[in-house]
Amino acid sequence: MTEQKNTDKRLRHKFWQFFWRSWAIQTSWNYESQMNMGFMYGMAPTIDEIYGEKPDTPEKLQKKKEAYHRHMAFFNCTPQLTSFVLGLSSAMEEEYAANPDTFDPDSINGVKTSLMGPLSGIGDSFFQGTVKIIAFGLGINMAQQGNIFGPILAMIISIIPSVIVTYWGGKWGYLQGKKNIQRLISNGTINRIMSLMNVIGLMVIGAMVATMIGITTPIKFGKTFVLQKTLDSIFPQMLSLAFTLGMFYLIKKKVNTAWIMVICIFGGILLSVLGIFN
Amino acid sequence: MFWKAFVVGLVGVFAMFDSRLLGRENFEQPLIVSTLVGLVLGDVSKGLLVGATLELVSMGIVQVGAAVPPDMVLGSVVASAFAILSHTSAQAALTVALPVAVLGQLVAIVIRMLFSSFNQLVENAIDAGKFRKARSYHIVYGPIIYGLLYFVPVFLAIFLGTNVVTSFVKMIPDWLTNGLTLASKILPAYGFALLMSTMIDKKNAVYLFLGFFIAAYGKMTVISVAIFAVIFAIILNKFMSNNENNNAAPKTSSSDDLDDLEEL
Repeated sequence: MTEQKNTDKRLRHKFWQFFWRSWAIQTSWNYESQMNMGFMYGMAPTIDEIYGEKPDTPEKLQKKKEAYHRHMAFFNCTPQLTSFVLGLSSAMEEEYAANPDTFDPDSINGVKTSLMGPLSGIGDSFFQGTVKIIAFGLGINMAQQGNIFGPILAMIISIIPSVIVTYWGGKWGYLQGKKNIQRLISNGTINRIMSLMNVIGLMVIGAMVATMIGITTPIKFGKTFVLQKTLDSIFPQMLSLAFTLGMFYLIKKKVNTAWIMVICIFGGILLSVLGIFN
Repeated sequence: MFWKAFVVGLVGVFAMFDSRLLGRENFEQPLIVSTLVGLVLGDVSKGLLVGATLELVSMGIVQVGAAVPPDMVLGSVVASAFAILSHTSAQAALTVALPVAVLGQLVAIVIRMLFSSFNQLVENAIDAGKFRKARSYHIVYGPIIYGLLYFVPVFLAIFLGTNVVTSFVKMIPDWLTNGLTLASKILPAYGFALLMSTMIDKKNAVYLFLGFFIAAYGKMTVISVAIFAVIFAIILNKFMSNNENNNAAPKTSSSDDLDDLEEL
């Protein structure tokens, strides 16, 4: 009985760890791999628990280093939904430590990667779109009448769904992972789920490109020919798509991130000064 | 004035940490930030009014992936302190907020570039077996750098007086502001490209365009496209299991596979 209580307590501690480390995932957000250090930090308690704070054998130390390196891979997701990915990845790391011969560690990053597209698309537009607009739509209204309850209400509406989703996401990801991941991987279902996740992820990214970039051109010839209008009549947001595909091309060509940053910033200033885009 | 500048600076740091350490709970929104500034400067009703005005301006700015919109955190902290300390209107505060927001955006871009260089240091620390050090880049240095880079400008702005800020911001030429605005639109394009490069291949590239054109022609929001995408994936799953059943012997029944999907 007390043992059961102890595991429950240990699990709850774990879930709160997922919770706080998901919320804190952006403190080292960077252009190269985005939230990768944050994800590594989120995985650290699990990895340390598996291989020990100070690994006692060289093999364990090697495995621990590999695990830390593994979670330094590119990651980007809404913080509230990251706890789900942290939970699932933790379950998979434990599975790998238990069955190092049959479990392919590469599948951990595979699952992470296929989840982050759909989750960040849905999560960002839910928390930064829907929830924020409801919360602050109401809040502004009250604040304009000088009511201090306006901002308080806005914060209550913002925080409650965030806390619920973050905590239960981590818990659910970990428990489901523990229960199902081995079976899903061994019968190949996980591959299909991953490829379906990629379909959802790509559609969501396509929609984000169409709605969240908004690059236009001010070029016109004479009074009648406005280039942007012509482009829009072919298809809207053509330039946003073109820029995204251009960036994708640079990534495929393995152009150094620092160079891409320089191109983005100085190219942006140059193109704006020349009056080509805005 | 020193202490006023100090506490306003702390409000700025807190607002900044909202998105860094608290998963963006919206404490960083102008309405909340301005109310807090009003609270520490002893004029809550003015803070509320300025906050409501600034919030209306920044509403509709949705941050996704790499997007760096004009930094309304820095903007609203300085603007609401300016409005309260110099007894000006909320509209006048707006003229301070927007340029300062662009300044904050510049700071944000520099920090995110600086952190890119941390990656190699972390990898090195892991190789050396210094796990605590590897973690500290994220959880110790990250917040310290963010804290300082947001505290100092807010503190100086209030301490030296908003005149200094306004004249400094006026020195930033229009072409630079416009150029940075364009750059801040290209940067998310890079972010989206990074995200899609992790999952795209020749076979599924078509879905990127499907999502794009639904949103571009249909003028639909991301969340509505996401709902269609999920439904579409479920339909696709049905076809995939049918194919499997036709090809291979009925090793796994299709209903089993569907159950698995629902569980996840």
